[in-house]
Amino acid sequence: MSSSRTESLVDVTMPQMGVSVAEGTVVQWRKEVGEQIQADETICEISTDKIDTEVPAPVGGIVAEILVPLEATVPVGVVLARIAPAGAPGAPSPAPPAPSGAATRAGDDPATPSGDDPSAAPSNGAGGPPRRYSPVVQRIAATHGVDLGLIKGTGRDGRVRKQDVLAFVEAGNGSRAAATEDPPLHIESPYRPDPAPAPAVGAERLSRMRRQIGEHMKRSLETAAHCTTWIEVDMSAIETARAALGLTALPFVARAITVALREHPALNAWLEDERYTRHEAVNLGIAVSRGEDGLIVPVVREAQELSVEGLGARIRDLARRGRAGELSPDEVRDGTFTITNPGQYGSIMATPIINQPQVGILDLEAVVKRPVVITDAAGNDSIAIRPMTILGLSWDHRALDGAIAAQFLATVKRHLEGWTGI
Amino acid sequence: MATLTYLQAISAALRDELRDDERVLMMGEDIGVFGGAFKVTDGFIEEFGADRVMDTPLAESAIIGTAIGAAVVGMRPVCEMQFSDFIACGFDQLVNVAGKMHYRQGLAVPITVRLPSGGGFSGGPFHSQNPEAWFMHSPGIKVVAPATAEDAKGLLHAAIRDPNPVCFMEHKHLYRRIKGEVPDGIHETPMTARIAREGSDLVVIAYGAMVHVALEATEDLDGASVEVLDLRSLVPLDTEAILASVAKCSKVVILDEANATCAAGAQVAALIAEHAFEDLDGPVTRVSTPDVPIPFSPPLEQAVLPGVERVKEACRELLAY
Repeated sequence: MSSSRTESLVDVTMPQMGVSVAEGTVVQWRKEVGEQIQADETICEISTDKIDTEVPAPVGGIVAEILVPLEATVPVGVVLARIAPAGAPGAPSPAPPAPSGAATRAGDDPATPSGDDPSAAPSNGAGGPPRRYSPVVQRIAATHGVDLGLIKGTGRDGRVRKQDVLAFVEAGNGSRAAATEDPPLHIESPYRPDPAPAPAVGAERLSRMRRQIGEHMKRSLETAAHCTTWIEVDMSAIETARAALGLTALPFVARAITVALREHPALNAWLEDERYTRHEAVNLGIAVSRGEDGLIVPVVREAQELSVEGLGARIRDLARRGRAGELSPDEVRDGTFTITNPGQYGSIMATPIINQPQVGILDLEAVVKRPVVITDAAGNDSIAIRPMTILGLSWDHRALDGAIAAQFLATVKRHLEGWTGI
Repeated sequence: MATLTYLQAISAALRDELRDDERVLMMGEDIGVFGGAFKVTDGFIEEFGADRVMDTPLAESAIIGTAIGAAVVGMRPVCEMQFSDFIACGFDQLVNVAGKMHYRQGLAVPITVRLPSGGGFSGGPFHSQNPEAWFMHSPGIKVVAPATAEDAKGLLHAAIRDPNPVCFMEHKHLYRRIKGEVPDGIHETPMTARIAREGSDLVVIAYGAMVHVALEATEDLDGASVEVLDLRSLVPLDTEAILASVAKCSKVVILDEANATCAAGAQVAALIAEHAFEDLDGPVTRVSTPDVPIPFSPPLEQAVLPGVERVKEACRELLAY
């Protein structure tokens, strides 16, 4: 195969899904090498951040190469597959790229997964089809904890033979020196080793979504200097207004926050390492629970353009589609500030974790009737029953200080308590 | 210890048994006065008389049926089919009567049916077949197929002394080509497999004449260490020996002179697929005769029978896998 053949192929790359998304994981290949594909037909499914999405083929033709194996995580922009466009020379005869072609590509476009898990790349050298292993090779590998991806095969087309894996083990590789389990005494013997104790009920690997949430949360805690400030808000005016409009308190709080962020742009910002970017537009992320699966944060773009009714409708729509897994990648990216609202169960305070690279997240919990001291215009104090809530703002002490956070919360409080239909 | 041909070893076993046990008698077409089509029983009628070495009509059903009756009343008959192909005429007696007698009525049928089988001598479609699988498929009948002179004698002793009906597959092509040291006197060869040559990279499983093809084909195969397993007995099949060789070598070529479909080798392949899956490092490979009658034409016959070159090719292919 000549290098011109490789150049005539069209790359399918890991798409950019959002500013904070650096990498994605291939969770399913819909096509195999050699299969026909139409333009815009899905070639694979990927999972990035909190979104699972489909990657469409940029052109119609034949899938010539699949370069990233299943479950491999690669950076945005990495070539996942190549398609021989219909009508291109040599299109119907997919084959591994010539070494020269692969080397040429490697310079401008890293075609190999960059993860540090070598087992994620079980391909024959420069991007051939995934390797298959015979039963005996897999058994020996499992017994000795050998990563077969590390073995150079001497069989046909580089196939790893029994001799290859045995030599690899004999050379001192493999994580286990010997079998961990006694084999039966005799192939026909009724004796079997006692079964291993049953694992704890329901022990299983975390879902991909949970693992990703975990990674994000840990990374945020390691990145930001988290600090949480609370303020008590009298929601009497909001309760009246929301009853009139048939809305929940959330869109009112979202509206008050949007207005307050325009007044305090220090919190409507991203901090990426030492780069601090304040945003004009308020792209408001709303955390939506997906039950045990995890949560997703759809973004209300240009929230400052929306009325409270508009916010209510948009939030309802995003939440419904978020729970149904129907959001597009564009709808979960570019958030500049986030609201989390788990108050429906009666909890009153939390210390939320900032959604990187944002610098603030506001927690809205339950609205609870409390006795509070109120002062009338004449300066007389009395005790009244008022619907109260506690807003918690986690902010990044690297980007701002407590005074700014407190001023922001005071502004939100002012808008909510003196609700005038802003 | 004497050096005998495969044919002489069979004759010696028969003679020893006739001398040793007066219940043993022989029946077959032209085995008496003529001494047998292949001269296996040459001179027997003079030594043992026409009562014990009986010439029969051309009626295989009658030969086997009579033998079954004699066996049930305590005799140890040995029937000769002039060619194994002709067993088809005695099929009902062997499969339905002899094979099921013990199951139905609790009676032992200690008959031995000698089946001169196999091709390679331009015998054509009626004189070259390897019908052993017909009987493997029929419960109640044992099937043995020796490859060496020693085993031909030892397995024939074992067959005659076995309380079950036994098909003794004697390969015509080996009769005068194979010679070997054979112990004097009566020795019984167990109905188990034998490692004809030790090896570790690949095992060729064969029986009868194909054992010699396997040995020749793999004697010097680019330095590979090739094991050859001689099954010797097809019923019972030595499962333990087969699985042990597969576990050791992980690559298997199964060789049959019989037509491929449902041959003995097909059963061996199935056994390996079921019980040795995790030991395999390559596809289970079969070399056998295609599903066609054996041609008269010598070049055509050589083309269909598995030969040394075909076995070499299959082994090289699998070794390189």
